[in-house]
Amino acid sequence: MIQYIWLILIALTLFAFLLGWLELMSSVMVIILLITTFIKGQLVIDYFMGLKNTHLKYRLIPTLWLTVVVSLIALAYFFPAN
Amino acid sequence: MSISQKNKAPYPPGDFGIWVIIYIELITFALLFIGYAFARRLDVELFNQSQLLLDQRAGFINTLILITSSYFVVKAIESIKTLELKKASALTSKWLLGAIILGSSFIVIKIMEFSDKAEQGINLSTNTFFMFYILLTAFHFMHVILGLIVLFIIYKKTKNQTYTQENHLGMETGASYWHLVDLLWIVLFPLVYILR
Repeated sequence: MIQYIWLILIALTLFAFLLGWLELMSSVMVIILLITTFIKGQLVIDYFMGLKNTHLKYRLIPTLWLTVVVSLIALAYFFPAN
Repeated sequence: MSISQKNKAPYPPGDFGIWVIIYIELITFALLFIGYAFARRLDVELFNQSQLLLDQRAGFINTLILITSSYFVVKAIESIKTLELKKASALTSKWLLGAIILGSSFIVIKIMEFSDKAEQGINLSTNTFFMFYILLTAFHFMHVILGLIVLFIIYKKTKNQTYTQENHLGMETGASYWHLVDLLWIVLFPLVYILR
């Protein structure tokens, strides 16, 4: 199981790199990039940090952290000041 | 209490104190990430132009390195939990050594990146982008070094067969910190190197 998680993380990282390297960034791609970043973070929280099977409150703190950080990055990106 | 709640581990792996540190670190880095995102919002053009000077390949390779190193640490914990002592110590120390070698490679690549920027005359006062870039990556860099020291101590203890199937709290504590280092980079890489 854990090796599949590792492979997913590697594949999503390659995807993010190619978005930047091939200059494919657009509004839609930014949303996809942020969603994949959230997924990667949650996989690390659940399977590497081992919080998937702990009480919800312990898992919720890093998940909320990830949600807030990714959401605010999206907010700042889509509403530039100039 | 439901059956699913009964089957759940009450606490996260490792010493409870490390989780207090992890949650504090998450908040600290969140402030830096959000600070970067909102500073970028004020001058998108400057951030996009400055970002072109970063080596995306170095950031990409370092992400692969940290993810794989974290995976090796998970395998180390799995070995100590499931195998008999002698076999477990041998296999666990191999996984840990692999994680340490990868973590050290991250350090080497990052130093090369920092040197490259220094040669170009880039420093904290160059512009807002590079102030955040240097602050974020140097602060994370220090966490990687601390994580490597912790992994090395765990490695030595594993070689001495200190950890067993029943007693490996110290190893789980160090592992949790190493995964934090990985988690932080997973957000840092797309934010600083890719998003434009």
